[in-house]
Amino acid sequence: MEERHIKERPEVGDAGRDVERSVAVELSGVTKRFGEFVAVDDLTLDIYEGEFFSLLGPSGCGKTTTLRMIAGFEEPTEGGISVDGDPVRGVPPYRRPVNTVFQSYAIFPHLNVFDNVAFGLRRAGVKGEELQRRVTDACEMVQLSGFEKRKPSMLSGGQQQRVALARALVNRPKVLLLDEPLGALDLKLRKEMQLYLKNLQHEVGITFIYVTHDQEEALTMSDRIAVINEGKVQQVADPPTLYELPKNRFVADFIGQTNVFSGTVESVREGHVTLRTSSGEKVEVTARGVEVEVGQEAHAAVRPEKIRFGSEGDNVSSTTIRQIVYLGVSTQYITELSGGERLVLYQQNSREEDNPEVGEEVPVAWDARNCLILGG
Amino acid sequence: MGKGRHGWSLGLAGLLSPVTIWLGLFFLVPLLFILAYSFGKSGVYGGITLGFYPGNYLKVFNPLYLDIIVRTLVIALTNTLLCLLLGYPLAYFIAFKGGRRKHILILLIMIPFWTSLLLRAYAWVVILGGNGIANRTLQFLHITDHPLDLIFTPQAVTMGMVYSYLPFMILPLYAALEKFDRRLKEAAQDLGASRWHTFWRVTFPLSMPGVIAGSILVFIPSAGEFVIPNLLGGARTVMVGNLIQQQFLEARDWAFGSALAVMLAVLLVGAIMFYVRKVGAEKLEGV
Repeated sequence: MEERHIKERPEVGDAGRDVERSVAVELSGVTKRFGEFVAVDDLTLDIYEGEFFSLLGPSGCGKTTTLRMIAGFEEPTEGGISVDGDPVRGVPPYRRPVNTVFQSYAIFPHLNVFDNVAFGLRRAGVKGEELQRRVTDACEMVQLSGFEKRKPSMLSGGQQQRVALARALVNRPKVLLLDEPLGALDLKLRKEMQLYLKNLQHEVGITFIYVTHDQEEALTMSDRIAVINEGKVQQVADPPTLYELPKNRFVADFIGQTNVFSGTVESVREGHVTLRTSSGEKVEVTARGVEVEVGQEAHAAVRPEKIRFGSEGDNVSSTTIRQIVYLGVSTQYITELSGGERLVLYQQNSREEDNPEVGEEVPVAWDARNCLILGG
Repeated sequence: MGKGRHGWSLGLAGLLSPVTIWLGLFFLVPLLFILAYSFGKSGVYGGITLGFYPGNYLKVFNPLYLDIIVRTLVIALTNTLLCLLLGYPLAYFIAFKGGRRKHILILLIMIPFWTSLLLRAYAWVVILGGNGIANRTLQFLHITDHPLDLIFTPQAVTMGMVYSYLPFMILPLYAALEKFDRRLKEAAQDLGASRWHTFWRVTFPLSMPGVIAGSILVFIPSAGEFVIPNLLGGARTVMVGNLIQQQFLEARDWAFGSALAVMLAVLLVGAIMFYVRKVGAEKLEGV
């Protein structure tokens, strides 16, 4: 099913499938240096209107710097940023049509919820009944009705988070920037807020640019994701493409878990590649996107959930079970191939059967079409 | 369990008793003496007869003394405002732009404390005196051809007081601004507030604890000040502190001196309570 899904939407991110969609934020050749350190390196991105776009990467990859450049707290060393079609170089943060939900929330501790939410509207000259109505609506939208007179110190983390959200959204910005806004919440609340944010974005139709290091969070919420590492964009795509067709080894490793075989290309024919690892393991791969030649060094990746116990498939190997981790929905088996490589696989816990035990030698199999040649 | 709690309260009593005894003996008891004296009656050669003679307090409302009390409050208030106006930008600068030199800059603010207040006040006498450095410089530059009356003026007193009390304003302001989460500034700007608005809507209200602490630290001692007006104010700028000193040491009217001291204390406590209520309430209301 996933296979079909991918074929229908080839290279969604890069091609820009909807030509008529207008661009909300355009970054062209943006570079940011702090002294010697290059935080963002020649970043070019188009973020469309009404899109939930995530910047995903490990900490220190430049994603927050990118967000701060869009907000106006930093200016790019090189390159240009346009918001809603207008270049914003030199425009101070308070004149940009964007609002930010900060990682720390940055709620004004001396103001109550109402005054926090009204802050931006008051600066924009909104008064009286309209101010009252819009603030009340915003509080209602984030389910904080009745909390208007409360001080931030009397709110829980999740409530403060929603105040920050209302305070930004009430201004009806062109673009809402969110800097790891769920980072401080506990897991259950975070999961709730993910779905809530996704629905909210759908409702208000405002472009969201969401910075996170949590790949699961990005996959759950985003229309499109830019994976960033060391200041460079690794891949821009929708979540299924990113997961099923990672462009390089970094993306494959960062998004979900993956098993990577490194070796030499033994044969290439009709989109079918055979890889031979240094330990002699043979891996059959259906080649997509990446061009390889015989004799070349290459990596092949296969997701743990695409491997099964059994001896029927394009690739069959004998493994020894080293560790078993029960995960609830599934069980993770960490196994060792005869050549010493580690191979991780997941099995759904839906069936009752004789599961292998630690130390047992079992054959595993996976199909060539679930295996991928990686660039980089 | 009960033993543990008992032990804790014993420990607390142990920790607090030295300070309680100290303050009781050397602060509370003398204060009670003053209160008792203020209702007493001074003898012709000093000495005091205890009793209930409210006349001392009625004497305070003599226009001559009332004038001095009002002047004292005006000088203390002026001093507090000037210290705030001069100290705030400096504290702001050190807290936000000081970078790694912050601690050195704060140390420089505290350096005057290494010399006695008396010496520093005398230094101003040398500077402002009739034949002092300031007058000689002005004459040398031909800005004036005769010595100006710089010393023994209310302005000289204010100058000396601002100089002496500025650090008491800067330190609490710095402490408050230092703690300030500068991400709040970014949040304000993100929400459309210019630098001006960001300062008045966010930074300043959040530095209010420092403003309050600094104002109290400057206002109270400057209302009771007697060294600086004595040296720089001469006979024309008498403050309540000087008056009390005179009553105790020269006029030997301990009863009236005590009544003045009690009145001053009551006035100051009232003023501080009013100030904290007013400013504190505004702070709570927000915008």
